[in-house]
Amino acid sequence: MEASGRYGRLLLTPIAVIYLVALVAPISFFLVMSVFRYSALDLWIPTVTGENFARLLGESYHRAIIARTLKIALLTSVGCLALGYPLAWYLARTTSAWRGVLMFLVIAPLMTGVIVRTYGWIVLLGSEGTVNSVLRGLGLIDRPLKILHTEAAVLIALVHILLPYMVFPLFAALAGQDPDLERAAHTLGAGRARTFLEVTLPLSRPGILMGSALVFTLTAGAVVTPALMGGKDVQMLGQTIYELTMSTLNWPLASAVAFLLVLCQLTILLVYFRVGRRRVA
Amino acid sequence: MSPDSPVVGPARASGRTGRLALGAVVTAIYVFLLAPVAIIVFSSFNPTEANTFPPTGFSLRWYAKFFESAGFVNAFRFSLWLAIVAAVVATAIGFLTAYGLVRAGRRGQGVVQSLAMLPMMVPHLLISISLLLALLVVPVPDLAALVIGHVVICLPFAIACIVASLEGIDAQLELAALTLGASRLRALWEVVIPLVAPGLLSALLFTFMVSFGDVYIALFLSGPGRTTLPIEIFAYMQWESTPVVAAITSMQILLIIALGLVIERLVGLRKIMRV
Amino acid sequence: MAKTILELQGVVKRYGATLGVGPVDVDVREGEFLTLLGPSGCGKTTTLHIVAGLLSPDEGRVMLGARDITRLDPQHRDMGVVFQNYALFPHKTVLDNVAFGLRMRGTPRAEIGGRVRRMLDLVGLPGVEARLPGQLSGGQRQRVALARALVIEPTVLLLDEPLSNLDAVLRKRMRLDLRELQQRLGIATIFVTHDQDEAFEMSDRVVLLNGGRVEQVGTPEELYDDPATRFAAEFIGETNLIEGVVAATTGATIAVDTVAGGRYDAFAPGRSLRSGDPVYVMIRPERIDLVSERPSGAVALPATVVKRVFAGDIVTFELRTDHGLLLHCSKPSLAEYRALAPGAAVWAIVRDCRALPRDGAAGA
Repeated sequence: MEASGRYGRLLLTPIAVIYLVALVAPISFFLVMSVFRYSALDLWIPTVTGENFARLLGESYHRAIIARTLKIALLTSVGCLALGYPLAWYLARTTSAWRGVLMFLVIAPLMTGVIVRTYGWIVLLGSEGTVNSVLRGLGLIDRPLKILHTEAAVLIALVHILLPYMVFPLFAALAGQDPDLERAAHTLGAGRARTFLEVTLPLSRPGILMGSALVFTLTAGAVVTPALMGGKDVQMLGQTIYELTMSTLNWPLASAVAFLLVLCQLTILLVYFRVGRRRVA
Repeated sequence: MSPDSPVVGPARASGRTGRLALGAVVTAIYVFLLAPVAIIVFSSFNPTEANTFPPTGFSLRWYAKFFESAGFVNAFRFSLWLAIVAAVVATAIGFLTAYGLVRAGRRGQGVVQSLAMLPMMVPHLLISISLLLALLVVPVPDLAALVIGHVVICLPFAIACIVASLEGIDAQLELAALTLGASRLRALWEVVIPLVAPGLLSALLFTFMVSFGDVYIALFLSGPGRTTLPIEIFAYMQWESTPVVAAITSMQILLIIALGLVIERLVGLRKIMRV
Repeated sequence: MAKTILELQGVVKRYGATLGVGPVDVDVREGEFLTLLGPSGCGKTTTLHIVAGLLSPDEGRVMLGARDITRLDPQHRDMGVVFQNYALFPHKTVLDNVAFGLRMRGTPRAEIGGRVRRMLDLVGLPGVEARLPGQLSGGQRQRVALARALVIEPTVLLLDEPLSNLDAVLRKRMRLDLRELQQRLGIATIFVTHDQDEAFEMSDRVVLLNGGRVEQVGTPEELYDDPATRFAAEFIGETNLIEGVVAATTGATIAVDTVAGGRYDAFAPGRSLRSGDPVYVMIRPERIDLVSERPSGAVALPATVVKRVFAGDIVTFELRTDHGLLLHCSKPSLAEYRALAPGAAVWAIVRDCRALPRDGAAGA
């Protein structure tokens, strides 16, 4: 409608203000701090220096954490994709009356919060936990396996927690496909596998990209799950930021870590979307 | 819980085995998804202190412990209050934004809508720290920063819910109301609001759940007298690990299920999924 | 001469650099059924929306009687609008839907019920007040939309392709019902459609639009017998168009020499044509007589039947004249015409024809 141009801008003002004031401005300010100098007294001195990045990229301790975070983030994305795709495909294609319930069962864990689900994995994987109890009960092992406080534990928990974030975009992409496309492929002689590879999969690429990007973001910034599942043995960037901010109070360094995180994220996003745009015109 | 209806696809000999295989895989994934949650609920009835499963008996002592603990109960009440405030504010702003997006024409709607989803693409950790930093610079009450932080992370969900609902409403309905003599505001009240009510309600419930379950924003922005339940649990879990956590989370799960069923009844989750 | 209720003066609407519609100069008279006719994208709905106040024109004025309402918002225009998809409020009952406009006008509650019921009777839907739009059929919803627009007793009724979503049978019936209702109420009506049959069946006058411009305004007879442009001739009914040049003008008759050979005496009412002007000779298919033997006196063209299509009440022919001209001809389904098979030799007599202006240089 006509006057909506004017109204439109007015209606979008509140969110624009909130995002600018509470999101963009503070984050920019925080990220800028990565080039400031650390001071034990003032928290930061506004002189430009590269020492924070030098420390991050120079010290092997930090480099290891960065490498580990990237590794786990990528593996989590892959794991979520592997598990999430069949789930999303099934939900998008099924005609079962249970569909609504099944979808709810995917969101429900999400809504219980990170702590809840991490706790569940502690119960499962702890030395007195379910897995160990079962294995001991079956006589397969004598002493409990150390599963907690390993990268594997963190990975499993993260995949579990972030799976819904992969399923949604995939579901949206798959559900939005015209079912006639697959039928057309079949009538042209393509088998199920062929149809999937040549029609369904490529068309679901936007969903894959969105889901992977989302999972990557959430993994890279995770604190609670790595802390509880990995403890001191598995340090990731999220925990580093937390410690630097709350314990060590080295904010410039924390900012540098955050900056690096955002940089990695943006790079991955760029790579994903460049790859995506080239193929799917 | 095993799905029993056929998946849409061609009727071929290989179809049957393919479907069974898919069904098995999907069931396994669901088990993976829900087992930890189920385990929590069961172990909350554990009479002993250990985090074992299956539980060795049945006891409600951990539920009692929760209600006895002033720390947990206060945190629960605070989380509740915070979630209600964040939900209402996020839904209100979300409605304005969604209406502006859907009705204000096609120019750049896609871009603006993606921008509205910004908080989802930024690690909540970063949002939280930045707000904490802002607090050092700008004289804003700490509580306000916490509320604002929650509103920010809730907005994308509210907007998604309401946009999904609004898009299903014929744009001509408002035009019709106008030609019949209604002012824009009257048309909004008589036509749009009643029809978008399910979307508004589901936005409220979704944002409530998001706020209630948040850890990262509260991690940096809570403080004495302002602790949310997840933070309280997190702190507790650093030192001890008893099934009282299981009890609390079981109650939370029950809450979520109840709210989720309400949403499903109202709007149908399918529509919201089309984010 | 009937009073003018509504007038569009020089109305123009642009979308960026593209012309939406205009300039439009149209008047709507008291009690008249005026149709805006044209292919999709011709600007007819845009024009209707401008009249309703849902769009503002970039140039020109909309006059309601003596009032300039161009900038007045739709809320105050006192017009009844029926949208293509009916736009019934899905959450309100039929009664509440129809009563909506009355409520907005502050009609006393006691009065509303009665007026709504009377209107529903009038549109042929007694007893459905308590139902929701979702429980009605397409045809019923259409009538509710109509009732809702009419119950407020508007000055002008605006209908945006209200019959497009109905199936063919229902559509035909609704045309009659709608026209009858409109005549009974005597309300000035603007009707938008792309269906030429519909426009002709229902209208007092038709405004033919194409690409945003007004091609012609007139009664259905005028449009059919004397189309002003090539587009008008082709959009309305079937036609034959023969390229030619004006040879001479004698009073009302224009003599045209055609490219294919042969001279025709055509009429061109309301147009000034001079020798040398490029024109089309327009012949309606039913204005060609067919005989098997050469007639005496009248000018006749020898021709062969190329194709013959039996269409129930008429038979249509494609004829090739001896100097290579292809003509379409339609005759009533009588024995003598049904007997003409492809290959038959006939004589074609052109009863009357028109001369239409032709753009551009003479070409093949």
